[in-house]
Amino acid sequence: MPGSGSRSGVSYDARGLVEPHADMPDNIEVDGSRARFDATDLTIRQINMALRRLIYNDGITDVTVLNPSSKHSLAVGILKRCRIHFEGSPGWFACGLIDGPEVTINGRVGWSVAENMMSGVVMIERSAGSLTGAAIRGGDLIIKGDVGARTGIDQKGGTIIVTGDVGINTGFMMQRGRQIICVNAGMNLGDSMYDGAIYVGGKVRSLGVDCVPGDWTEADTELIERKFRIHGLGDPPEFQKFVCGKQLHNYDALEPSERKLVIH
Amino acid sequence: MAGSASRGENPQETRTVAIDAEVLAGKRFPYQEDMSLVEDIDLLAATPGPDINWLEDITLLEEDGVPAVFDRYSNSFLKIYFPIPEGREDEIARKVLIRHLTDGNSYGITLKDIHCKFPQVELGPWVEDSRIVGTDWKQPVLEGWTAPAGH
Repeated sequence: MPGSGSRSGVSYDARGLVEPHADMPDNIEVDGSRARFDATDLTIRQINMALRRLIYNDGITDVTVLNPSSKHSLAVGILKRCRIHFEGSPGWFACGLIDGPEVTINGRVGWSVAENMMSGVVMIERSAGSLTGAAIRGGDLIIKGDVGARTGIDQKGGTIIVTGDVGINTGFMMQRGRQIICVNAGMNLGDSMYDGAIYVGGKVRSLGVDCVPGDWTEADTELIERKFRIHGLGDPPEFQKFVCGKQLHNYDALEPSERKLVIH
Repeated sequence: MAGSASRGENPQETRTVAIDAEVLAGKRFPYQEDMSLVEDIDLLAATPGPDINWLEDITLLEEDGVPAVFDRYSNSFLKIYFPIPEGREDEIARKVLIRHLTDGNSYGITLKDIHCKFPQVELGPWVEDSRIVGTDWKQPVLEGWTAPAGH
């Protein structure tokens, strides 16, 4: 292992893999291109190691993880097309940094699910914590419940759909992408947003700085109807649209390198 | 200013502020000039889920006065030189980008084989059966360097 070993006795790895228990789990059931395993007695590292080995090395395209037991940072950094199903509730930072997987979670999730997702679909059957979809860059994140504060903070692309309520500071510093909130939004919606669109089906407690009502277009109707149809969410409610008022940030004054950062 | 170029100390050296996919690759690619090379790309098949997923955010932009699509995997613009039919701007931009990525021509993909520390598919999630890179990363060691005592 590169860089491993130290006087402290704690296993160290230059890549940051510090959890010492690194034995591959022996309870994986494989059936063709599908696999499943029970995560009850496994460490976070073991679960992620099993996912990586199955998906990258063994050609498995569909993995079911039973009993994730609110363990943190599961299924992070999977950069390949595949299906992952969690039967139970993962903890914080689930499915972060993914690029390609289609994930279903039959449970709740903690903070920062799908943080920095590049592409893929994450569908959560119950509620999610704060910072849901933080800095998401692409793909669809669907939460069939309520979510906490700062949903889609620093969002740079992608679509976040919440069938319930969202908390305070939703869409804070949002730069691109779309949020579809089917019920109510808390205080400071879209505060300091640069771009993107936030659709709200219920009441908004208050708008943040430079977040203003936007003009509804046929493209908005097409987007909402398409997303509800493909994700089986039923008939969409009536939405209000909110966008950036463009008074706080000035695109014309940005240097090219800054402009690129805003784009992605 | 985007695209402005100047001569450096070496008269043969041209410096530019803009980040251009052609500059990074050192060449222009045929699909930047010939629309027939991207027409048959299936965007739905190339993306996860039942729609175009992350490509929803990819639109036709402009760089140096030329139509271009932004490649987020190399933070560069890929210019498009053929005439784009009206009403198909974003679709064509997405197809050119997907062709660029699936062919492995994005500079970010080029760097993977050398620098990535963790196993991952070389060509990204758009290509089935792409080879795995990053399986044998070794910490670089400076020649003649020795670790300080205690490390």
